[in-house]
This record gives sequence, structure tokens and C-alpha cells, in this order.
Amino acid sequence: MFATAQYDSGDWDSAPLVPANLIDTIARYTSIDVAPSGVIVPLASPSLFRYPLIYLTGHLPVRFGEAERANLAKYAARGGLLLVDDHNHDIDGVFHKTANEELSRVYGPIRPIPNTHPLYTTFFVFEDGPPTTTHELNGWGDNLVHKTLSGVERDGRLALLYSSKDYSSEWNYHPENKRFQSVDNTRFAVNIVVYALTR
Amino acid sequence: MRSRVDLRRLAEGMARAAVFAALAVALWRASRTDGGGTSTIAAASRMVDRAITSALSAPTVVALDISADAGMSHWQRDALAALRRAGVVVRWQGAQPPLAMEAVRDREPEARARLMVIGAATSAVVLADSASVIDTVRTADATVDVGTLVGAVRAALGSYAAQTQAPDVTPRRAVMVLGRASWESKFVMAALSEAGWTVRGRIPAAPNVAVSDEFLMPLDTARYDVVVMLDSSSADLAGGIARFVAQGGGLVAVGEASWVRVLSGLLPAQAGERRPGRILLADDTVTPPDLPVRPLRGLRRDALALDGERGRVTLAARRAGLGRVLSVGYDDSWRWRMLGGESGKAAHRAWWSRAVGAVAPERADAAMRPNDDAAPRAALINALGSDSRLGTKGVQASVEPTPLPLLVVLVLALLAEVASRRFRGAR
Repeated sequence: MFATAQYDSGDWDSAPLVPANLIDTIARYTSIDVAPSGVIVPLASPSLFRYPLIYLTGHLPVRFGEAERANLAKYAARGGLLLVDDHNHDIDGVFHKTANEELSRVYGPIRPIPNTHPLYTTFFVFEDGPPTTTHELNGWGDNLVHKTLSGVERDGRLALLYSSKDYSSEWNYHPENKRFQSVDNTRFAVNIVVYALTR
Repeated sequence: MRSRVDLRRLAEGMARAAVFAALAVALWRASRTDGGGTSTIAAASRMVDRAITSALSAPTVVALDISADAGMSHWQRDALAALRRAGVVVRWQGAQPPLAMEAVRDREPEARARLMVIGAATSAVVLADSASVIDTVRTADATVDVGTLVGAVRAALGSYAAQTQAPDVTPRRAVMVLGRASWESKFVMAALSEAGWTVRGRIPAAPNVAVSDEFLMPLDTARYDVVVMLDSSSADLAGGIARFVAQGGGLVAVGEASWVRVLSGLLPAQAGERRPGRILLADDTVTPPDLPVRPLRGLRRDALALDGERGRVTLAARRAGLGRVLSVGYDDSWRWRMLGGESGKAAHRAWWSRAVGAVAPERADAAMRPNDDAAPRAALINALGSDSRLGTKGVQASVEPTPLPLLVVLVLALLAEVASRRFRGAR
């Protein structure tokens, strides 16, 4: 079940087509049982623990409430993986700054993940680390390429995966439109999901 | 030449001398023994050592009466048993309390010792190892988990004590986890890793694509202790798994893993159709009875049902070849970890580690240690029989009366001497 995090501040629903697109990708490439539609789960809700992988995104400043922080801390301790993607692709934008502050309070220091991490070879092989997005290269003409993803490990496993690469924009389209691409740009999502399910 | 009278007086004198001699012998024997040439020693517990020494050095000791008002060491019991076998009657009586203990160690990487004590429910039993007091228990039947033990462990009830030693910790070998890419695979591997097991997995994620550890194969008992099959996705390895179990490896078969035909001969039971777990409200926490379950059916005659409720078996085990096999009926145990509240993660981890440890091969030296005295009362009864007040006769002491020939000589000599004198008119 693909779950999108709902939080009190900001615009948590800024990439509404991502869940359906990634569900299609998982069903297309893997034999993993996947529910045909995603769910939305409030960060402060006990239901959070039903979904060991949660996707969180947004453009706007992020401020978690106490209940959201407490729930996230328990979620990390029990083995859940939070995937956070900055829907902006800039450097030190408002989402990036505030989300990092909030996430650091819960998870501790967020560090770059080396491009040799198993995340990049667990299904498809990405020798150069995280694939770049069209928005990074020329979307707004700024060519800001983030070389790595960041994260926090607990007990040797990723508990937080943080991306500034704006996959939320990259993957936010109807699954039918994959046929217009020479290389499916959602393949890296398969690696994230397979990593979450096997490590 | 002597006359007949002289001869008669000489005979009377000899008879008189014989009577005195016999009386002297009888007096000497009486002064030296308990009246029959043998002796019985009575001793309290603190004097047992001296009594044993006396019995060993004096062959006339034929019986020992021990008042067991305190515990006896195993060597004291052994010495008394040896004396008993040598013909000495050994009787004991006293209020030896029914106190016994056993120390076992889990077959897990962080192998905690488990002390099981059976004693009088009304009195406090003090558990201690060589370093310090561990706990005090006051129940008839208590189990205490201990992380670290130093030397021997004692359970003391007043002046009585049972003593034993936990088996050594032995390094465990790896666990192979086989299952589809799912939350169950992820969290079972996580739980076992956190419990200290070395975990290697093969997790199929797509046709002909599996996420697996380097150096996963071969599967043998030199590298692995246990295989955990979470579903039927690794049916291609079933032949190797059956061989592994026959050679002494352990197998935990969860849910539909029992449907793999090659393994059906090994398993204690087959998993049935899946039944959904309890419907949860928002704040509910999950425990095993709330999980989806595949009740185990067709329990084999040599299998043991370990868990279940309302007539459905959810956990069963049996021996197969040199190995052990555990069938698990629970599905989606990961929900226990994620939704089990504050203790869910630890409970899930401990449950899985215990399940794997239950079928892991025994590698510790389970031999009895020479200083073990785990059940002193049972050992005392085994060595010396029951409390003599309960009517135990044992071997009756061969207390010798004054020897019959000596008595005959004495009586005949006395009669002859008196009769002779009377017949010749003397007084």
C-alpha cells in the first residue's frame, strides 16, 4: 500500500499523481503485491504504523506539531522508512530548510548517502547514484544538480531518505504517459520500494 | 600316682577356669563394642565427615545414623552410598526440603540464562551466583532470566542449597531467510539482526530477480543454524532444505511454506486457509492473537502443539532427521512490531529470536558438571533411600550376640563344676 503523509503545515498534496504512477511502476516491473490505489495518512495518526514506507513532499515551509514529531520518532524506532522529496529543486529553499530542521529534530543529523549505497543497485543499477531529473537540468534553466541523496540510518537500515531532486515533479504524471518516454524515469522508485521491503 | 579325687578336683578347677575365661572374654567384648562386637555411629549433618572417616577406619562400625539437619555435599552422599554398598547400614532422617534447580541457556546469540527453581512455596529461596545475589523468589515454581552469570549458581533455602552451572554460551551460525519482497520479510530479518543473529536472505522481487546476500549458498550446517521460509517463493531450494534438516539444521516454516510438497514430510503440520486478523480501531495495539492466521491442521502424531487458542493450533514443532522443524500459523507478524505499542518491537524481536533458537542445533556441552548438585534431596534419596522414619529398612545391622559356642562352653563348664562338687559332697 503506497501511503502519502499528510501534515498540518505546508502543501502535503502537491504531487497528487505520484502515488498512482509509482504503483503502476511497481506492478509493471516487480512481482510485489501492491494495492491498486494509495492512501493518505496523517503523520499524527496511529494509522501511520500500518504503512512501513511513507512518502512526504511539499513546496512550502514545514512545521511539525508535537504529535507529528512524537509519532515520527516512534515510526523510525520501529523500522519505518520515510521518503521525503523537496518539490522545489532549488538549494536552501524554504521546504528544504524547514523540513531539514524538523526532520533533524526527530532523526538527528541528516547526512549525504554515498552513491555506492545498496539503494542504487538493489533492483536497477544506477552507477552514478540518484538519477537526475529534467527539472534539475533545465526545468527552470538553473542546472542545479544534487549529486547525492541524504538520509539517516537506524540499525544499519535507512530510516529517512531525503531528496532535493524534485522527484515529485518528475514522477507527477499519469502512468499512461510512460509510453512517451524512451527510458522510464520512475525506475528509481522501484529501487526505493524494493530496498524498503528487503533491507 | 594321682587318686580319682585329685583328678576330679583338677577337672573342677579346669571347669572353673573355663567359666572365668569365658566370662572374661564376654566382658572384654562388652567393654569394646555395643554388646555384639560391632558399633553404630550416630551423627548430625555437621559431624558427617568425622562419622564417615570413623566408618572407613573402623571395620566394626556396621551402621551410621545420620540426622540430616542441614544439606549434605555430593561427596558426602557419595561416600555414604559407597559405605552402604560395602555393607554398612546407612540411615538418615531429617527435614530435607524439596528444593531443585536447573540452569539452561537459550540457543540464541545473546543467550540469556534461565534459572528454574522448584522449592517450598512458603519460604524465600535466594538465588545467587559467584558474584552476588541475583533474586529472591517465594513461589513453588519460579523462572528467572539472567543476562550474565559468574561461576556456579545457587538456590539457598536456609541451610539447604542446590547448586548448578549454566551451559557455556556458544557462537551461533547464520540464519537464512527466504521470502517474497514484503514487509514480513523485511521485519523478520530486522528482528533477527537486532537479536544478534547473522542474517542472510534471498528475497525474490521479480521473476528471475532476487535480492540476496553475497555468499548465500551453499546451505549446510557448517554455515547455517536455521532456515526461515516465510512463504513458498523459494520452493526451488526445498530439496536442499530437506537435506539440511536431515543433517541437523533447523527449519521455521511460516504459512504457505508448508505447502511446498518436498517439505511436507518434514513438517509437524500443514497451514490452512488464511483467516483475517482482528479489525483494529485507530488506537488499538496488536498482539499475536490479533494477527491474521493460517490455523495448522493435520498435526502429526510425533508433533507437539506449542501455541494456539480456541481449538486452533498456530505453532507446532517436531524432530525430523537430526534437525528440528517449527510450523508457524501466524501471518504478517510485522504488524505486531509496528502496531504493537511501546513493547511491540521488543516482543516481536524476542519472539522471532526464540522461534529460531528453538530449532537451532544444540552445540553446547550439556554434560553434567562435577560440582552440580541441582536436586540435593532427590540425590540423597537416590543414594541412601528414603528418610528412615518413613520405614526404610535398608540392610539391618548385623549386631552379633555373644557367640553361641562361648555361651555353651560357659554353661557346660559351670554345670560340670557345680555337679562334680555336689556329687562328691563338697559345697
